[in-house]
Amino acid sequence: MEDELYLENIDEFVTDQNRIVTYKWLSFTLGVHVNQAKQMLYDYVERKRKENSGAQLHVTYLVAGNLIQNGHICHKVAVVREDKLEAMKSKLATIASVHVYSIQKAMLKDSGPLYNTDYDIVKTNLQNCSKFSAIQCAAAVPRTSAEVSQVQTSAQADSQTPNDTHAVNVPTINGHVSSTAKQPSPQPKGIMGMFATKSASKSQDTNKETKPESKETTIATTVSSKVSPKGSAMSNFFGKAAMNKLKVSSECEQPKEEKTVAKPSVSVTEPKSPPSAAVEKPGKKMEPVKIQQKDKRRAKRMATSDNEEKEDENLKKKRRRIKRPQSDSSEDEDVSVSPTPQEAKPPLPSPEPALKIELEPATTEASTGGKKRKRKRVLKSKTFVDSEGCMVTEKVYESESCTDSEEEFIKSKLPAAHNQSTAAVRKEPKEDRKGLKKGTATASKANKQVSIMGFFQKK
Amino acid sequence: MFSEQAARTAQGLLAPPSAEASTFARVPISTYTNCSQHFRLGERSFNRQYAHIYATRLIQMRPLLLERARQKWGSGIAVRKLCELQTAEKCCIVGTLFKSMQLQPSILREISEEHNLLPQPSRTKYIHQSDELILEDELQRIKLEGAVDIQKLVTGTILALYGSEREDGRFVVEDHCFADLPRQLPRRGPSTDRFVLLVSGLGLGGGSGESFLGMQLLVDVVTGQLGAEGEQSCAAQISRVILAGNLLSQNTQNKDTINKAKYLTKKTQAASVEAVKMLDEILLQLSASVPVDVMPGEFDPTNYTLPQQPLHHCMFPLAGAYSTLQLVTNPYQADIDGVRFLGTSGQNVNDIFKYSSMEDYLEILEWTLHVGHLSPTAPDTLGCYPFYKTDPFIFTDCPHVYFCGNAPRFQSKELTGVDGQQVLLVTIPDFSATQTACLINLRNLTCQPISFSGFSADEDEGEMEISH
Repeated sequence: MEDELYLENIDEFVTDQNRIVTYKWLSFTLGVHVNQAKQMLYDYVERKRKENSGAQLHVTYLVAGNLIQNGHICHKVAVVREDKLEAMKSKLATIASVHVYSIQKAMLKDSGPLYNTDYDIVKTNLQNCSKFSAIQCAAAVPRTSAEVSQVQTSAQADSQTPNDTHAVNVPTINGHVSSTAKQPSPQPKGIMGMFATKSASKSQDTNKETKPESKETTIATTVSSKVSPKGSAMSNFFGKAAMNKLKVSSECEQPKEEKTVAKPSVSVTEPKSPPSAAVEKPGKKMEPVKIQQKDKRRAKRMATSDNEEKEDENLKKKRRRIKRPQSDSSEDEDVSVSPTPQEAKPPLPSPEPALKIELEPATTEASTGGKKRKRKRVLKSKTFVDSEGCMVTEKVYESESCTDSEEEFIKSKLPAAHNQSTAAVRKEPKEDRKGLKKGTATASKANKQVSIMGFFQKK
Repeated sequence: MFSEQAARTAQGLLAPPSAEASTFARVPISTYTNCSQHFRLGERSFNRQYAHIYATRLIQMRPLLLERARQKWGSGIAVRKLCELQTAEKCCIVGTLFKSMQLQPSILREISEEHNLLPQPSRTKYIHQSDELILEDELQRIKLEGAVDIQKLVTGTILALYGSEREDGRFVVEDHCFADLPRQLPRRGPSTDRFVLLVSGLGLGGGSGESFLGMQLLVDVVTGQLGAEGEQSCAAQISRVILAGNLLSQNTQNKDTINKAKYLTKKTQAASVEAVKMLDEILLQLSASVPVDVMPGEFDPTNYTLPQQPLHHCMFPLAGAYSTLQLVTNPYQADIDGVRFLGTSGQNVNDIFKYSSMEDYLEILEWTLHVGHLSPTAPDTLGCYPFYKTDPFIFTDCPHVYFCGNAPRFQSKELTGVDGQQVLLVTIPDFSATQTACLINLRNLTCQPISFSGFSADEDEGEMEISH
């Protein structure tokens, strides 16, 4: 009989699996309305107790009602154990609802486990958490990504209007121009010009952290001077890279200045963030840039909790793209980054490392010092099993939080990467890159060497 | 009252499963307007001094005060500027109060080497017997004496005083008056019961798990999961939820990592990161079912100075997908179903509490309404943006519901103004401590606390909601 099925299920959950079966957990597990779940639990308790009065079954109830307290009526909602049910009911002046909250085999000392059970089941069902609820709200529909971007641009435009009442001039150093529409004009040309055209379409990535403009322009100029021959391809790369849900794509990374997390690839595409000081949060450095584009991205974000793992995983995926450009199409669905940068990548493996190299010295040069944490690209060994089932160890760059003092070690690691012996052909591009890096690293070291003229210049 | 009619079907769910489970539709949003535009800051420039905000405050409030003064003391009274004062002439002066407090923390004194002072320990109240009141207007200042309650008043209040100047240069006050409540627009509330839930002080990331069940119960009641059918149908009438600040706990503000050695703190995350993730999940559950307005508070990741700007939507990737989630400023003003709400997350009231002898949060809330200014102590002791054109904290219209969050306990009062204004004053208690929220019925402007509890090992007394 159908009716018996849920009884058996509950029996299994409670006695065999020794779970705490709350009404919410049951509702999600069996896919029934919450009220039905509550009734099911009650039915189970009644039947079980009728059959076997010595059954080891502990029940908690939810009691809600009005309580007269200090002259005013307070509505009280409480979860109580069975033995305290009557006492609670007698305290209330009017009882609004009573129902079974949970059933479990063992006696609960406190209500902590109830919360944990509910939390877990809600966490796994976050997207449809009110599916079985008794109240449905017509207004609560998730927005599509197009609407989301529209809302974000309009939110920026709204914050513009109070500008007129509050700001006297428009100090470009102090303030931040918030609207994307105003972006092209006041900013320096060069690489910003390339981004400005892209930024209008990429308005999803609005409102990221404030960046110190001086730093930005430093990086921008160093990047632009080296990258301008690469032209639009690189800007494509940057532009699309901004759509990544990575907080920093591995190629374009900047150390933090002071306490802000600089996300140059994202931020450079949107050089104007709204002036909200809301984004200046020291604790935010771990928080990845949330781009509300696709649900699967969000799901992916929820799946990976550690930032470093995520970056590494995407890093590896990017690596794979370079190694096997022919398998682009098959990997399109898996990779959470948008396809266009990947297409841009295989034809341009060389500008990429060049860019990386340029940003590296820029990284170190532009650091303002101070004992603040930065995100550095550190060479690390990663061991993984590749598609052929072989274990592969690679030295890859990984962003990591570290201080200035660790900068020096990065440089020393670069020559060490060269020593790794790799026979496979497909590792060549990486080797080339590493070789290039080593060359440039030593070159940059050479640049840093103090010349005798230093004695005469500083007075 | 909430869910009184639910009593009939209270035990309805203590039965075998019925074939049909009823679902209730949330009451639709009839009218909602966010009126907090003047609290939004666009581009911010901190090049200005704070003198401008006092100047504009005085300019804006002077006409209101003169009108009140004439109403109170007769239209024939002499109104003088401080520079025009003559000794022993009874007149009315209008200006900004300044209370010079001995115990007021002063950063200059702290860092001054000649004083060689240790940093002052923080106190709950900084008032002292030796405090003095001084009235300042555009050009001059004068010390006050007489029938004026020095302990109660705070710096930044604009008021009108009636009295005379003495030979020694002090002004002897005989009477004083405030700007009092402004005009109130007529209330066009709903004809059926409709509720707004006010919660504050969720305190996520606080480390103690006791309030979590309470919070889950709150979310479940509002989203209609908890309760029997009658209660669920009443919960469907909750048309809005306002979270009034301090969504994160004070513990997330721990900045120890800056002082600790780097090797100890290398991989640690700021506590607010976890807390914001949890908040996002809670907001997702709520906004999937009811419109939510989220106000930032003292410990939330937004700017410190008033008016606090809305939390950034990038922190809420899950909940931000729903249009029912609204991130709003602190202070927040809105027209909900024809009822004007105005409230803060409690920083203004808390600050006045520190520098005044008033003990009761509700009393302070009422006092700010009488004074005609949301937060007179800003920018003196409470951080504030240096406005210069207008002071947005001056009351322009009288709200119908005026609330402040993060109060020590729940209190509510109906206030009737001189011109017939009706205001419901509500102090929302800190949820992480009291597990209590407020339900406001928009039809008749009444307020009811709603409290949640679980059970713990030490029973009996733990369940009773002891509120004063």
